[in-house]
Amino acid sequence: MLLKKIVEELGLQVKVAGEGLTNQVTGAYVSDLLSDVMANSKEGELWITLQVHPNIIAVATLKELSGIILVNSRQPEEETLKKAEEEQIPIITTELPTFQLAGRLFNLIGEC
Amino acid sequence: MTLKEVVKILDCQVLTGEEELDSEVKVGCGCDLMSDVLSFIKPGALLLTGLNNPQAIRTGEMSEVGAICLVRDKQPGDDMVALAKENGIILLTTSLPLFDACGRLYQNGLVGHSEYKG
Amino acid sequence: MPVADCIRTAWWAILSIKDEVGVGVSVGEKKDITKVQELVYEMKVDQVMARDIITVSPDDLMSKLRELLRDKHISGVPVVRDKRLIGMVSIEDFIKCLAEGKMDSPVKDRMSYDVETLYDNEPLVRAVEEFNRLGYGRFPVISRGDGNLVGIITKGDIIRGLLKKMEIDYHEEEIHRYRASHFFEDIIADKTTLIFQYKVVGKDFNRAGETSSGLKKTLRRMGMSPKIIRRVAIATYEAEMNLVVFTDGGEITAQVTPSEIKIEVVDEGPGIPDIKKAMEPGFSTAPDWIRELGFGAGMGLSNIHKCADVMHLESTVGKGTRLEIAVHLNDKENRASEEDS
Repeated sequence: MLLKKIVEELGLQVKVAGEGLTNQVTGAYVSDLLSDVMANSKEGELWITLQVHPNIIAVATLKELSGIILVNSRQPEEETLKKAEEEQIPIITTELPTFQLAGRLFNLIGEC
Repeated sequence: MTLKEVVKILDCQVLTGEEELDSEVKVGCGCDLMSDVLSFIKPGALLLTGLNNPQAIRTGEMSEVGAICLVRDKQPGDDMVALAKENGIILLTTSLPLFDACGRLYQNGLVGHSEYKG
Repeated sequence: MPVADCIRTAWWAILSIKDEVGVGVSVGEKKDITKVQELVYEMKVDQVMARDIITVSPDDLMSKLRELLRDKHISGVPVVRDKRLIGMVSIEDFIKCLAEGKMDSPVKDRMSYDVETLYDNEPLVRAVEEFNRLGYGRFPVISRGDGNLVGIITKGDIIRGLLKKMEIDYHEEEIHRYRASHFFEDIIADKTTLIFQYKVVGKDFNRAGETSSGLKKTLRRMGMSPKIIRRVAIATYEAEMNLVVFTDGGEITAQVTPSEIKIEVVDEGPGIPDIKKAMEPGFSTAPDWIRELGFGAGMGLSNIHKCADVMHLESTVGKGTRLEIAVHLNDKENRASEEDS
């Protein structure tokens, strides 16, 4: 499913889009531990996290994730936004807590 | 949702609290950052986490969670299981990743914090 | 220390009054005092008070008191009408009356109407406080439910009640040795303030949380409200994590008084350069490895702030940090939210 469609369906706020909104989302990975995401996420997955640290962009780039959703109304740090622009990693925010966002996204894209 | 249902939906292994699976969890929480758990989790919630260290149990103890479920087949150390037992924390594990675990429970009617009325 | 000695020590500690049953006073080890300290919070007035009370009616004559005061060795009698306490008549009133030769006057003319009372469901610690504050020998006990006089309590009743309970508990402890073992290990007794001190080891991530866990269990045992306990536990745990993550260790002191729980957390470095910034949610100087353990995301201090009624943080770089928080026990807000749940 296109990232754009997910943003629309779930009513999410786009902070950094670039060309990324046309990314194909192959699944989702939920984690707040960078090492976990480094080890276990797969290419094309959408990453749901509370972490707003600039390091998340490095991880997303390395793992070629389709985007990052920050939950619980968490706002990215300046540096994070800057890096996201540079790397063309979409940053999306929502006021929903992780459990609910994951639940709704799961309903939308199913198990992967 | 009863913990029995949780165990069934997530195909959990029950590490502690086998005899208390009739108790109910009213709200789900998926989180790996313990301060965030402490700041918003509701007493009696089900905490789903990939954090496999004793601080997950401590956090559950302080915030009075209903149960903790480790995801992605994390096998806690003996010290962690002992700590859970000692503090009456129900500890489960599932092989599902956090996304699927949250998703399946949500699909089966377990709500998140901002949907919980009570 | 033999049980009898430690009970004696405990009596002295908790009552800090010249006891009337003639028990000797000796100061023993701190931890022996603690059982009684705990019990005065747990036990209620109606568990130790005397229920078979001798009363007089306001219309009785003072002369009736003669036998009562002589035969029963009591020094004051509640005056009751329709189960309601309306006053107290004391041995002093009787003597005065005797001196004036007015033994045929009714009790209602000689008694005092302004009587200090206790409720049946108040914790013993309240009774101890009132005995110390007012210096009276006894308090009539009123039922919180129907307002009737239900008993009378003396210092001796408290001592006997505690003694009885301790014997039972000492027996139970054999069975629940584990359960009892983590209570009151680090306590300093001071009348109605309980002080718990804990040393926290720095950099030992696996043991982090032991202090908060111990404190939480103790508060629960004392019958504190679950909401209060949760707030204190979360704030203390965050503070403990800060000690473990950022310092070489420090000390946590909890003071429990009838009105508040005060937590003081002190360390000797490295100190916080900008407290205002450190308080901002999400601001963190934690190393990556801590973040990977689920902490250090910059929410700790704001969590503490959220849980506390009062928070005071002072720090000098290179010297150390001192955090003080208080959670009030009797706020309207606490009671209101208590009823919600």
